[in-house]
Amino acid sequence: MLKSESRSTRRLARWLAYAGICGIAISSAACRHRVTLQEIPADQIETTLFFVGDAGEADPRQVGAPLDSLAVQASESPARTIVVFLGDNVYPGGIPAEGAAEWADARRRLEAQVRAIPPGVRGIFLPGNHDWAAETAFGLYSIRLQEQMIASLAQGRDIRLIPVNGCPGPVSIDVGRLRFVALDTQWWLHSYIVRDSTSRCAATTMGTVTAALRAEVRPPGQGRVVLVAGHHPLMTGGAHGGYCGLTGPYRRFGGSPQDILSGANRTMRDSIRSAFTGNPPLAYVAGHDHNLQVLRGGQNVKFLLVSGAGSASKTECAVRMRESFYVTQHRAGFMRVDILRGKGVLLRVFRYPGTKHGALAYTRWLELR
Amino acid sequence: MTASRFLIALILCAPGVVRAQTAQLPIATEEATPIGALPPMPLPMPASRDQNYWGVRLQTGERSERSGPENLFAVAAGIDYQLRGGSIYGLTAGYQQRQNCQSTTNCGHALFGARGRFNVFTGGPTVAAIIGDESATTTLGTEIGFGYAPGTSPGVNACTLDVGLPYSVAMLQTVRVVGFSTPGAVWNIDCSAEQTSRTRSLLIGFGGGIQQLGARGLDVNIGAQRILRGATGLQFGISVSWVRLP
Repeated sequence: MLKSESRSTRRLARWLAYAGICGIAISSAACRHRVTLQEIPADQIETTLFFVGDAGEADPRQVGAPLDSLAVQASESPARTIVVFLGDNVYPGGIPAEGAAEWADARRRLEAQVRAIPPGVRGIFLPGNHDWAAETAFGLYSIRLQEQMIASLAQGRDIRLIPVNGCPGPVSIDVGRLRFVALDTQWWLHSYIVRDSTSRCAATTMGTVTAALRAEVRPPGQGRVVLVAGHHPLMTGGAHGGYCGLTGPYRRFGGSPQDILSGANRTMRDSIRSAFTGNPPLAYVAGHDHNLQVLRGGQNVKFLLVSGAGSASKTECAVRMRESFYVTQHRAGFMRVDILRGKGVLLRVFRYPGTKHGALAYTRWLELR
Repeated sequence: MTASRFLIALILCAPGVVRAQTAQLPIATEEATPIGALPPMPLPMPASRDQNYWGVRLQTGERSERSGPENLFAVAAGIDYQLRGGSIYGLTAGYQQRQNCQSTTNCGHALFGARGRFNVFTGGPTVAAIIGDESATTTLGTEIGFGYAPGTSPGVNACTLDVGLPYSVAMLQTVRVVGFSTPGAVWNIDCSAEQTSRTRSLLIGFGGGIQQLGARGLDVNIGAQRILRGATGLQFGISVSWVRLP
């Protein structure tokens, strides 16, 4: 009898131990520190950046929620606002030669994005693989045509495509605490000519681009916020990262340089990361995968942002990885980064359609206030 | 829903075939090696395809409801190598002990195992879409494992080969909850001095857990498993694993 009771007691104790561990597990995860949205007084914001990528599949019948909402938010304080389009601005094949049947529609796609930039707001377009004529031989000429078309559509406003003339960059823009560094990552991956007799690029080899990037991410001064942007992500849980779909893990055998698992892509990413060694930027921002992801960057860069959900018709799957802070798949949207005076950088992710709580889906202090 | 609950209850609660009434029930081969001695675990949480990851694992479980008074308690540790954020290869070493063992010998034995788990599909919400969680991740894979336990009885070693089709769904953003099932089959392999019979058994395991518990690499899972053969009872236990992020 005593033996039986003793066994029962031990069993009960064991079950209680299991339950205790599970209880602690659930409660500690649930109580994890959450960054809530804080309404920041406008005068404390030094610079606001909007990041939207892969927006080149605009619906010809309507503006679409992401660009519409972005335009409304950006118009609140135009002087301090920068809108960054993260590449793939014109699907499917960039700007064709004038006279081609696709030319008018390509212009229409680009015009929809330029119009989303309110008066007084600075606009930056980065090149993506589709802008390089979908990775074909016409790529270098297509990207130059896009640069010219954006300048034409801007009508004198500060809206431009960088890096210019099909060059790889990096191109830096300093605004207060912000140093924004733009790269043309397709330059690294393109299989056809990337320069000709009219190219006047400061860096023309992978080594010199890396060296220049290394110098650009070390701006002088204290409290600088370095954000680097390129079309291709350094890490992603989307289709280009080898996830989503049965073929995901095996895409490496296809050898597409557009995918994380390819050798050419790895060379590019390793070079970019090596340039960050010792001076990690606050974030590297990219598009390419059609979803919204906030990721832990690791030693060389603090945060990795993927904001490639600018076209509602192209949104795709994304897998939450160990490095993920936040993932939204199959939703259009954009990211907003507010750089505060003195200290503090706040990230906000907006998605469409939103939830019952609205379009704001995620907030995080990239730099604590 | 009701049908699935009934099926689960049937699997867990169905009595084994014939239950011996002896005080010391022989440990079946399938119970002695890691596949039966330790609780099931879900497929690893996806990580960046850009890198490989090392991890460690602690598992403990108890096989109860065997006929007779003895439960089998096991504890083990393992190391895992997650290749390109997906498939995982692991080695396990542990010890299994009869509880309330009345004998001075044959109360426990070591156990060792090697396992490969291969991600076949890692994608979107699939079934989790039913509850409207668009952040959910579905993972379907295959696995193969080899287990070895020397001296489970005098002169008897246990060796097993198992295959499985693990499936897991991870949900929610703040608390990452994962549910999983691990159906499979296990074969015992003759590796004793004395010839033993070769058998194949089906097994079903399932459980749940929390991923990234406080630390990005820390997962805790509980799992239950039933080997659909003989008086092998019900395995229930907990696994704690940690993956080192570069």
